[in-house]
Amino acid sequence: MRGPSARHPDDQREQLPAVEGTIADAAEMKVGDRVVYPNQGVCAVVGVEEQDILGQKLQLVRMRREEDGAAVLVPKNKVPSIGLRRVATGAQMEGVFHYLAAQFDDPELDWKVRHRDNADRLIAGGVLGVAEVVKGLHSLSRIRPLPTKEREQYDNARHLLVHEIAVSLGVPPVLAEDYVDFALMPPAGVKFDLKPPPTPVLLPSRPKKRRPVAEEEDDLGLGELGIDLDLAGALEGAAAPEGEAPAAEGEGTTEGAEGEGTEPAAEGAGAEPAEDAGEEPPIPAAVPRAKPAPKPERPARAKAAAPKAAPKAAKKAPAKKAAKPAAKPAAKARGKGAAKRGGKKK
Amino acid sequence: MIRIVTLDRIDPGDLAFLTATLYRAFGVGTEHAGDRELPAGVERKDGKVDAEKLLADAPTVRALPDDKVLYLTAAPLALRAGPLGEPPCWGFADFGGERAIVSTARLPERGVTEASIETWRRRLAREATHALGHTWDLHHCYDARCAMHPSWSQGLSDQPEPDLCNFCREKSERKIRLAKT
Repeated sequence: MRGPSARHPDDQREQLPAVEGTIADAAEMKVGDRVVYPNQGVCAVVGVEEQDILGQKLQLVRMRREEDGAAVLVPKNKVPSIGLRRVATGAQMEGVFHYLAAQFDDPELDWKVRHRDNADRLIAGGVLGVAEVVKGLHSLSRIRPLPTKEREQYDNARHLLVHEIAVSLGVPPVLAEDYVDFALMPPAGVKFDLKPPPTPVLLPSRPKKRRPVAEEEDDLGLGELGIDLDLAGALEGAAAPEGEAPAAEGEGTTEGAEGEGTEPAAEGAGAEPAEDAGEEPPIPAAVPRAKPAPKPERPARAKAAAPKAAPKAAKKAPAKKAAKPAAKPAAKARGKGAAKRGGKKK
Repeated sequence: MIRIVTLDRIDPGDLAFLTATLYRAFGVGTEHAGDRELPAGVERKDGKVDAEKLLADAPTVRALPDDKVLYLTAAPLALRAGPLGEPPCWGFADFGGERAIVSTARLPERGVTEASIETWRRRLAREATHALGHTWDLHHCYDARCAMHPSWSQGLSDQPEPDLCNFCREKSERKIRLAKT
């Protein structure tokens, strides 16, 4: 059996099915009901009360955590969003045990992904999500000892799972724990007649961080305001006499900066989109292209950067040019470097 | 304080070894609180003793609120069958509670040689540490060298040590420090 499925791409985000038993409305909860608060455990509903908090009258559902009697108060309107769910049924529990007892040889090895996914599973994955965390970390622990954070996560997940099993099956927690480990680590000679395990929990996709696009960053919106600074002429006048800036940029290619290397050739055709195309899908870059107003600014902006770069380049370029032929004979340069290093050591 | 109650006759030397080991494992005083009779009506049809029922019906001893009581018996214990079958039972405990019970029925033969007696004592101490660990909220541990590792695991060595791993020891110490008394 393979491990839990990978994260969903964005387009399937809306289609994720709710975990079985999720409470969609506070009205479904009655006094005495036993519900599972994600990451907290099994709670008993005590009642609904109204409290005055910061001048607002809030309807709160009061619950008592069964493990230690701690009071848990949840605003009534937040009930659907926090992932409260009913205690797993016997059929669900059977699926959990068949999942735990199944072969598992594909633990996620990237700790960042693993830790994040496990945290999501504990919150939104239902009882099977908790079982996945226990099983995933347990199988990983067979390869190498877990780091401290994950050891704690494993212990927490085990705690939640054991208590939910205990409540669901009506057995003491120690017995529930024995059941879990009987499935995870069966004794010698014991073989289970396993049914196909339930489908692993689908995780919600996280919003991806958008990379800032250079054009959008540089665009001050002056075109839209009707201001034209006309820096182009001024910059050309300043940069032309130097005459060595393009050469200096061209040299950049030899240094290994690929993006810079395309600039001199692409300047007229818009160097920036060419740079973007290599990094990110061109969707954001296409938006400014459609605007007619900012277009004339691009060369201006591109050249606006030039006066800063040009004097530097003008200063550096001759030095580089002078240094390069000297550096070409590698043996000489290495010899010098080695001599210097050797000298320092001594 | 850990109070050991024997429901069957146990050698005083074995008890001395057990009290010393439990003291080292948890850092709390351990003493023998006396002998008691096995309660009636806890036997199942197959001749084994229902561990849950025994723990519930076990004779009480005088103890303070945070004391733990460990019952020792020679009777074979059995548990309720779960969704995948009945797990083997070396002992049973009240999770986060006061009582734990350990059976010597599944331990290796005690024998008469010093080596076999030592092995037997160490295994008894391991199972006692395991059962008492549950009373301090310890879960099973994946580390096969830890006393909280499941007793039936195939990864367990022939002569497992009665020591806790760092994680379990620190967790139990935290619980013991938070005890009211």
